[in-house]
Amino acid sequence: MAHYDYVEKAVNVSRREFLQIIGVAGAVMWTGVYVATDLVQDRTKYIKMRAQGIYKDDLKAKVRQSHNNPALNEMYNKFAQKPLSPLAEELFHTRYVDRTKLG
Amino acid sequence: MNHQGEREPRVLKHRLSSRLFHWGLVLGFLPAAITGFIIWLKQGSDDFVNLAMQIHIIGAAIFTVSAILYSFFSVDRIVAFIRQISDWSHSDLKWMMVGGGYAHKMILNKEISVPPMCKLNSGQKSMGVLMFHGGIFLLFSGWILYAFIPLAPKVLVYWFAFGHLWIGLFLGLCTFAHILLGIYNWSDFKAMFGDGTMTLEEASHHNPLWVENKIEPVKKECDSDSEVITACSTN
Amino acid sequence: MRGFQRQELSRIIEIDRKKCKGCDSCKVFCPTDAIDGKYGTVHRIDSYKCVFCGQCLVNCPFGAPTDVVDPVDQIIEKLNDKKVTVVAAIAPAVRVAIGEEFGMEPGRLLTEKLYGAMKEAGFKVFDINYAADHTIMEEGSELLAKIRHYMLGEPTEHHLGALPQFTSCCPAWVRYVELNYPQIIPNLSSAKSPMMMAGSLAKTYGSTEVWHVKPEDIYVVGVMPCTAKKFECSRPEFDSASQYWEKQGHKALYPDVDSNLTTRDLARLFKKLNINFNTSYDFADGDNPLAQYSGAGTIFGNTGGVMEAALRTAYFLITGNELENLEFTPVRGLKGIKEAALTMKDNKTGKDLTLKVAVVHGIKENAVPLIEQVVAGNSPYHFIEVMNCPGGCVNGGGQPIHAMGTSWVDKWKAMLPWS
Repeated sequence: MAHYDYVEKAVNVSRREFLQIIGVAGAVMWTGVYVATDLVQDRTKYIKMRAQGIYKDDLKAKVRQSHNNPALNEMYNKFAQKPLSPLAEELFHTRYVDRTKLG
Repeated sequence: MNHQGEREPRVLKHRLSSRLFHWGLVLGFLPAAITGFIIWLKQGSDDFVNLAMQIHIIGAAIFTVSAILYSFFSVDRIVAFIRQISDWSHSDLKWMMVGGGYAHKMILNKEISVPPMCKLNSGQKSMGVLMFHGGIFLLFSGWILYAFIPLAPKVLVYWFAFGHLWIGLFLGLCTFAHILLGIYNWSDFKAMFGDGTMTLEEASHHNPLWVENKIEPVKKECDSDSEVITACSTN
Repeated sequence: MRGFQRQELSRIIEIDRKKCKGCDSCKVFCPTDAIDGKYGTVHRIDSYKCVFCGQCLVNCPFGAPTDVVDPVDQIIEKLNDKKVTVVAAIAPAVRVAIGEEFGMEPGRLLTEKLYGAMKEAGFKVFDINYAADHTIMEEGSELLAKIRHYMLGEPTEHHLGALPQFTSCCPAWVRYVELNYPQIIPNLSSAKSPMMMAGSLAKTYGSTEVWHVKPEDIYVVGVMPCTAKKFECSRPEFDSASQYWEKQGHKALYPDVDSNLTTRDLARLFKKLNINFNTSYDFADGDNPLAQYSGAGTIFGNTGGVMEAALRTAYFLITGNELENLEFTPVRGLKGIKEAALTMKDNKTGKDLTLKVAVVHGIKENAVPLIEQVVAGNSPYHFIEVMNCPGGCVNGGGQPIHAMGTSWVDKWKAMLPWS
């Protein structure tokens, strides 16, 4: 063991000082945790806001179902006849590619 | 009058918990600072930079654990430290103006008088302020940058990364200066890496106000003459 | 190049070496592990694996991944060319996010203002919500044909794929399947995405019935919340309009969709043309048939929206009645995998049909279990909607980057990068 003759006087924290420290530390940490959890929870808020905008557009639409879209039905009458018709297959359907086989 | 015989009186400057924490900094903060520099510059092969990153994380973990343990087991030392780094006066300004006399001593080989200092001189107090606040920020921001980026707002991560880099670089430079000056102050170097003690004379030279006001004789088996400042006899 | 057909774009997103910190968080968002680079080093995107979804781009705190396909100048040239009719095919998700590029809050519905600004720029409008309705009719009818054939045993005149049917409107999802699970290609709906249907419709029906210009003088620009759409419109098989006209004796080569702007690109285009979006006049474009859409079409922008739209129409086509509660909430929201069932009485046979559906978004975390069920042959579902981006297209890789948000919708999982 080291031999020494003098040592620093003990640190004295009065009750008032102790409460001050605990008070400030507690306030800082509690605020920090509160802000942090808020920020983390709100990280997808912008997605939800955009989605709400879209659902609002649905609610205020005059027509709510695709099969009731008059302009679309007019297109079928005048042009593509009906869904899955030969013309529809030609213009509005496609095939896919097995890319594992593409050199 | 000294009754100790041939041995000079010694004072305990750094107790065990503080020395252990310092080791935690040496093994944790220092590698993190060095590897942080490498990661910033991204010099070398991918494997090299990745290794630097891994060492950076390990160093940061050691630093974090040391800081937490020190805070739990030595609250009094932390209070003492904060008190010291908050105690500023005109003496400090005067000390700073002459750079503590170090430039004169190292370059001109001339010893000039400097205002008397307590346990930490003004330069050490400045570094203490920077290391305490900067260190906390580096720890906090560092762990967020390591593990929490997908959860944190992007703009926050950006500024944390900015702060982490520049505060890290600055504190790294301070650490470099600290190491040089620490070696220069050989008695303190021996104390910090040894048993924590130095002779009373060495302490009086660097920290006269501390010796005058902040230390007391160790309470031995002899009867309590606590008002008497001289050392108790060993018999 | 491996994994690409001729003419396809193979570089859309590139990581800026000067900005990348090697923090590995882009890897957390990438659905296909397409990002190479050890922790701490500058990262690189592997073109073969990349599906161009842009999630790395919208989530990087340092803005390192960059969209390198910049068509703005070329489109401005076309807008200035008197001979060319430039048609903007505007996706649903764009109208609730374009405001963010001009200081407004996310979710502000700006359809008429957007139309007005497009008109000012010289675009003709083709609302993709109309094409979404169109997709529901085609894809919904395909689903019903499969149900009648496979579940009710009726004969079919169509060449049908397999059940369960996966949606095919998300080009990142389609490329994901083509690269990683080609065995479930028969399950992908044969219907094109709304944007590609819009392209072929614009250059056929649009040219003759709406704008009365020659199809080769139409330049279709998709305006999308998506970076993968830039890849989709470069797919060589998407030239159905020119093929159609060739059969009629008009020989010319052009793609169905010529170019693509992300929402961000569009904002830049407005700024380049000195169009102040904040003060644009509202324009309802009421006379334009291709701007008429139903509520079902507009909800395509959200996860669960395609499914909800499909169910509204499937219910009608099967039962002959309209679905009473149009807001089909089980498929709404940010849960990774949503399931629902809808029991209907078939008008034709009187039998009871229960349609079991699933909605997946954020394919990195959520798609594989459902795909594996299909591959193993024990999927409980008939129809599965898949959107690559968490939250759906409203959070696509082409949307304005929201500084305070990230796409991480899942529960916290330790991100502990190491190598």
